[in-house]
Amino acid sequence: MILQMAWRNIWRNKMRSLVIALSVAIGLFAGLAVLALHKGMLKSRVRTVIDAEVSHIQLHHPLFKKDYEPQFTLTGNEQWLNDIRSSALVKAVTARSVTQAMLATTAGSAGVQVNGIIPGTENEVSRLDKKMKEGTGLNPQKKNEIVVSRKLADKMKLKTGSKLVLTFTDTAANIVSAAFRVTGIYQTENTPLDERNVYVKINDLDELLGIGNAFHEIAVLLKNDDDLLTVQKELQQKYPGVLVESWKEISPETELMVNTMDYYMYIIIGIIMLALAFGIINTMLMAILERTREIGMMVALGMNRVKLFLLVFLETIFLTMIGTPFGLLTTWLATEYFYKRGIDTSSFAGKTMSSFGFSSMIYPEFPAEELVTVMLIVILTAVFSCIFPAIKSGRLQPVEALRK
Amino acid sequence: MQTVIDAHNVSKVYNPKTIPVYAVNNVHLHLQRGEFTALVGPSGSGKTTLLNLIGGLDKPDNGSIIINGVDITGLSANELIDFRLRNIGFVFQSFNLIPVLTAKENVEFIMQLQKTRRQERENRIKSLFRQIELEDKINVRPSQLSGGQQQRVAVARALASRPQFVLADEPTANLDSKSAANLLDIMTKLNKEENITFLFSTHDQRVIERARRVITLVDGQIANDTARVSTLHEVAGQAG
Ligand SMILES: Nc1ncnc2c1ncn2[C@@H]1O[C@H](COP(=O)(O)OP(=O)(O)O)[C@@H](O)[C@H]1O
Ligand SMILES: [Mg+2]
Repeated sequence: MILQMAWRNIWRNKMRSLVIALSVAIGLFAGLAVLALHKGMLKSRVRTVIDAEVSHIQLHHPLFKKDYEPQFTLTGNEQWLNDIRSSALVKAVTARSVTQAMLATTAGSAGVQVNGIIPGTENEVSRLDKKMKEGTGLNPQKKNEIVVSRKLADKMKLKTGSKLVLTFTDTAANIVSAAFRVTGIYQTENTPLDERNVYVKINDLDELLGIGNAFHEIAVLLKNDDDLLTVQKELQQKYPGVLVESWKEISPETELMVNTMDYYMYIIIGIIMLALAFGIINTMLMAILERTREIGMMVALGMNRVKLFLLVFLETIFLTMIGTPFGLLTTWLATEYFYKRGIDTSSFAGKTMSSFGFSSMIYPEFPAEELVTVMLIVILTAVFSCIFPAIKSGRLQPVEALRK
Repeated sequence: MQTVIDAHNVSKVYNPKTIPVYAVNNVHLHLQRGEFTALVGPSGSGKTTLLNLIGGLDKPDNGSIIINGVDITGLSANELIDFRLRNIGFVFQSFNLIPVLTAKENVEFIMQLQKTRRQERENRIKSLFRQIELEDKINVRPSQLSGGQQQRVAVARALASRPQFVLADEPTANLDSKSAANLLDIMTKLNKEENITFLFSTHDQRVIERARRVITLVDGQIANDTARVSTLHEVAGQAG
């Protein structure tokens, strides 16, 4: 009977019930939208890290990354690349020689990381060809060509065809300088990373470094993210003296970002829930105040506080339950819509996103896994918010209530 | 004869610190099972306050109220709620019924609170609605009932819990004279046929005439307590 009373009570003031149900829907929507954006952002960030920057797994000489000294090459050769490539789980493999250098032009100088690459396989692993905005890129037939980022080009006043000088140390600790011609300008969404990285052919760099046909780095792209640990273990077993790292270890800042974002997300959801709680408390208090006489009468007749609490509680739960499907539906529709189109944050946030290494396009994704959690949070908020009004109703003195 | 209400030396003072109002002042009252008693007196004489005290809705500042052998002045708020549910039937002046429940549900509600079994509830509801002559309105919401019909449902509800007695605070105050007479007919019938004890307040002369005992309150004190010789031989009531 209390169930029926609660259900009928919420239809007594339709407008007010609609407002609560709607706030629940909006609360749910807002909570889920935050999650959806968050998920979309992180997913695309992780995709970028894997597909365009780090790849899944990298192999180095254990000492190489300490100071990037050129003599710490991998002991392997072309054969390693073929062996790794032959695994069924691997999509693409490439080798790189890497050194830290000073880049100088007439406009000034900048510290950069020079990546000596094999253009063909590099494109398969990090899609460098897709990032090219200007120029033809690295021609395997020609010597000393270089690709720089748009950001660096702007800063150093470089155009395709411009010349620049790279200075670094070789294996014998001699300082080596060489002139390169810009044949391509690339651009990604990660501007800080762009500014630091330039690309030359591996042969050109190896020759200058004096390391023959060796290389410092092997980058492995997998067919499937889930095979990461398996392949990492396999490679480590196969090449015991080599440092085998996954993208999570190579790019810990991505991991850190995921965690800080989690905090922000929970703070935002917390604020939304607080607003929802106040809305519910206020409305339920109003509903109780309006029914003072009726509640007083029920207490006079012998309805105890537990049952009264249950009544107020059930009313809140029903309202929440009505609001929930609306919230879910609108979130689902919105994420479906924007998942296809994407949200272009650059129109209102400028370059904020890309300066943190995020894509300025966000493709929100319906947070199916977190759905239960969010619904629980909303329902708990509703339950928590009705406690105060329920207690208040339980405190009603029947005599005073009946005099009204 | 069985005593159902035994009030001793009961007082209730409002605003004791500023301007004290002795709403009920040193009242002694005994009621036997089966009595049909009117509490009369001018407005502000303390009728509602006294009924609230006897009904366990309010606590006296002084005195004891023993109902069916239990001194209710010693009960906690929660115990009082349960005590009211099991022992006392209430009919209020107006807005008696829960608007979202049908007439039947309003009556059944009390029995559900008492955890009465379904079959017994159904039987009792049937017989109560026959007694209040509203069998055709059983599934109607209070808003679709006239004031008199609502009060009759309220009487049925008060009886549903099989209480020791029924307290009714000006049950006819908002009714036209025909509805009032009709309600009194039903109450009288229930009193005679089922030996239900009624204590009701009123200042309606036609209602007073139907009572078999009339207690007059003036300024919170019992000024008069008269047993009326009714057409029946029973004479109930003693001086308080
Ligand atoms: N809550 C209260 N606070 C202060 N005075 C009250 C309160 N309730 C009743 N009174 C006073 O107590 C007296 C008796 O009131 P009441 O029992 O309502 O009389 P009746 O029902 O006979 O009209 C009145 O003087 C009234 O003003
Ligand atoms: Mg009164």
